[in-house]
Amino acid sequence: VIDARVTGAQRYSVHVERPGMLHAAFVRSPHAHARVTAVDASRLPADCVALLPEDVADLAPYGCQARDQRVLADVARHVGDVVAAVAAATPAAARAAARAVDVSYEELPAVFDPVEAVAPGAPLLHPAAAQSAGEEVSIGVRPLPRTNVCHRFRIRHGDVGDGFEAADVVVQRAFRTPGAAHAPMEPHAALAEWEGERLTLWTGTQTPFNTRADVAYAFGLDAGDVRVVAPPMGGSFGAKTFVRLEALVAALARKAGRPVKATLDRTEEFLCLNRHPATLRVRIGATRDGTLVAKELDCWVDTGAYADCGPGVATKMGYAGVGPYRIPHVRVDALAIYTNLPPNGAFRGYGAMQSVWASERTMDALADELGMSPLELRRRNLLHDGDEFATGEVMHDVRFAECLDAAAAAVGYEDDPRGAGLCVLLKGMQTPSRAAIAVERTPVGYVLRSASCEMGQGVRESLRLMGAELLGCEPGQVEVPDPDTDTSPYDTRTTSSRSTHMMGRALVEAVRDLRDSGGDRGFGEVANEGGLDPDTGQGIASTHWHQGAAAARVRVDEETGKVTVEQLHGVAYAGRVVDRGGAELQNDGSMIMGLGTALFEAIDFADGQVANANLSDYNLPATGDLPARFTHELIEREGAEAHGLGETALPPVPAAIGNALHSLGIELHELPMTPERVLEAIDRR
Amino acid sequence: VNQGFLDPELLLSLGAVAGLARVDADGGELRLGAMATHRAVEQAPAAAAWPVLQRAFGLVASPRVRNQATVGGVLADADYASDPPAMLAALGARAVLRSPGGERDVAIEELILGYYETCIRPDELLVEVRVPAQPAAAVYRKFRSRSSEDRPCVAVAAVRDGAALRVVVGAVAETPQHFPDVCALAGDGALDAELAAEIGRRYAERIAPIADARGSAAYRRRVTAVEVRRAVEALA
Repeated sequence: VIDARVTGAQRYSVHVERPGMLHAAFVRSPHAHARVTAVDASRLPADCVALLPEDVADLAPYGCQARDQRVLADVARHVGDVVAAVAAATPAAARAAARAVDVSYEELPAVFDPVEAVAPGAPLLHPAAAQSAGEEVSIGVRPLPRTNVCHRFRIRHGDVGDGFEAADVVVQRAFRTPGAAHAPMEPHAALAEWEGERLTLWTGTQTPFNTRADVAYAFGLDAGDVRVVAPPMGGSFGAKTFVRLEALVAALARKAGRPVKATLDRTEEFLCLNRHPATLRVRIGATRDGTLVAKELDCWVDTGAYADCGPGVATKMGYAGVGPYRIPHVRVDALAIYTNLPPNGAFRGYGAMQSVWASERTMDALADELGMSPLELRRRNLLHDGDEFATGEVMHDVRFAECLDAAAAAVGYEDDPRGAGLCVLLKGMQTPSRAAIAVERTPVGYVLRSASCEMGQGVRESLRLMGAELLGCEPGQVEVPDPDTDTSPYDTRTTSSRSTHMMGRALVEAVRDLRDSGGDRGFGEVANEGGLDPDTGQGIASTHWHQGAAAARVRVDEETGKVTVEQLHGVAYAGRVVDRGGAELQNDGSMIMGLGTALFEAIDFADGQVANANLSDYNLPATGDLPARFTHELIEREGAEAHGLGETALPPVPAAIGNALHSLGIELHELPMTPERVLEAIDRR
Repeated sequence: VNQGFLDPELLLSLGAVAGLARVDADGGELRLGAMATHRAVEQAPAAAAWPVLQRAFGLVASPRVRNQATVGGVLADADYASDPPAMLAALGARAVLRSPGGERDVAIEELILGYYETCIRPDELLVEVRVPAQPAAAVYRKFRSRSSEDRPCVAVAAVRDGAALRVVVGAVAETPQHFPDVCALAGDGALDAELAAEIGRRYAERIAPIADARGSAAYRRRVTAVEVRRAVEALA
């Protein structure tokens, strides 16, 4: 059977239609920061519906981690912020109607850099700190009042003053990473329909229950009065998380009295949600024998106009940047900072790429200072089972050394380190979280109801395979319907590479319950407990660790700065592999995204305006960009649990390539490593 | 149109006009219809004696794009960051423009006047491109600073026909850049490494490079010197 995604038979959220539905178009601010003073829709054709500021006055602000966003912006905080919306019979009529809406603005000063945004006198985006969204997202948000900092995460472990005192060698480096586009093939699409006081949303989302809670809050509804149906997504990579278009189409549908659907075009995709640009500073100290004694990490994390999940990203960036090392004295300060750029949110790797790039590049600089092999320096300090991490938690089932050794061996690092680079990473999974699933017996097989969302990562197939094995039937007898908050049990969300690990264990419980009850329905639920104190970074960062490594071998055209990655090898610790083909594709996909991040992907802004909001000016990796030797491996262990691996092989790729350049004396501190930047680094050498 | 810069009321397709998609060799001359796709040029047996042209068309973007993009489109669009114009110019190709009043033909360097600007009059249609026989010594170098499917950052087309050297640099300025006086340095002697470097240096001096997401002006100037030198060396 050929996959429906290959034949074109698969229906995605962009294909959902309802009788009598209208199409939405958005009126977007051309200014990066401006107060809306008037909206005039008098030129609108009679058969169009306009959503104006007075139509949303009764709606509460929403936001998954900080409630800082209004359905229509009264102050536009980025170019492209939605200040009004229209609905019409066709998408073309809606776009024409949106152009007929006149908006007057009073421009305000804007800021586009996270470091500048925390300087004294910087324009404030949200003068009053937003209310924390509470336990749905399980993060204690720590805004700094009257600043642009919407969250500050800290790790205080040991005493870094003492630690650096004991160090024989100390290196400090600063790094930058740009914004990036998720660029799923399918754009964002959402459809809203009201029946009385009950709202149904069909939307491509990784977070049906979070979206339900947030939309219900905005509209003053009980969560049970909002139904979210999540058709498969044509890619997401984090882009389709939390409330994106859902509140807008719900408000439009309420005004129109008809179903309303919105589908973004490619340009709008660059205004919807991107990856966090970041500036990072790393300081590491070691004794002469290469034992790490202290580390400091500062992250300025640009979350754009709205917090979205920036507090969570800053937190993960903060602790992933410690690296998988035993370090007795650690200080981390990670700030999620508002700027007048489009909002930044979850992006495959969830902050880990940025801090792993900075941290692992600094490790190679330290190795140079120590006169030691970068491989040896890492080996000497890696975390093993039973070691304490900077969060105070004790590590279990960690295989960092195996991952690193496998990467090094693949490129022959020990024989010839010149032109080669390594990177090893630790990344956490959403903690705490819950997952639940129901198994129903049918005359021909079984139905698995869960809120695990299919976005191309293959969770349906993983559940089908695990279900068939546990239930003793053929995979074809296991049906996995689309998530629907009315019929699927609660799940925290389909993010952080957690579904196979969490939902897989819930499924074991559900099948056991089905057997024990002797009936036609079984229910299983698992929870992982923990979380970090945002002020000290102590606690349980992750109940299960994503562990990986990468190795690269490069060739450089020293006259043009063009880097050819001749070999790239990615390693992910899989524990137990459920769907081998799917797992391998996850590694491939992660590494390809890592290559784009490393070599050329960046959103260019000019005064807050995206200058390359199309796929000709914004380049994505193509088949021709893959290294001649492009390999990966899954580390497995008898008796282990299934480990998440949907993101693991992305974050180490840029640092592996950067360290390969470092071995040639070419020092890059900013991504992407374009030929022009490489040539400048060669000039500095 | 996709980006909303243009909002035409009507788009007229030339796809069904007979004869516009021709790719055939006619008396030592290659005739490319305006609606011939990049992919057709790249693969047509009739164009096999113009391998350097097939290569230049074959390096554009991806097969999906090349199946849509046309010879007439890339020339009439006159986007500075394109592959075919520099190669067609170096080969001495001429574009045929037809109007109700008759027909004229112009060299590629006369056709493209600036950014998205050509000499095509409102009543004219670019119907065909005629390419003289390709000399054996011909090369197309495409330097990309980003993805393998990107537009060129610096493109160098170079042809040596007997004593005559033609070097045309694309994607660095608003039109393909050709400096006959610099090319004349080659004389009719051998193209040695020193001469190649000198021609590269002079091209880099003479161009007024633009800056875009693929590279700054200073970077383009530097890469132009390298890539022109390499192209001329490849002709030797």
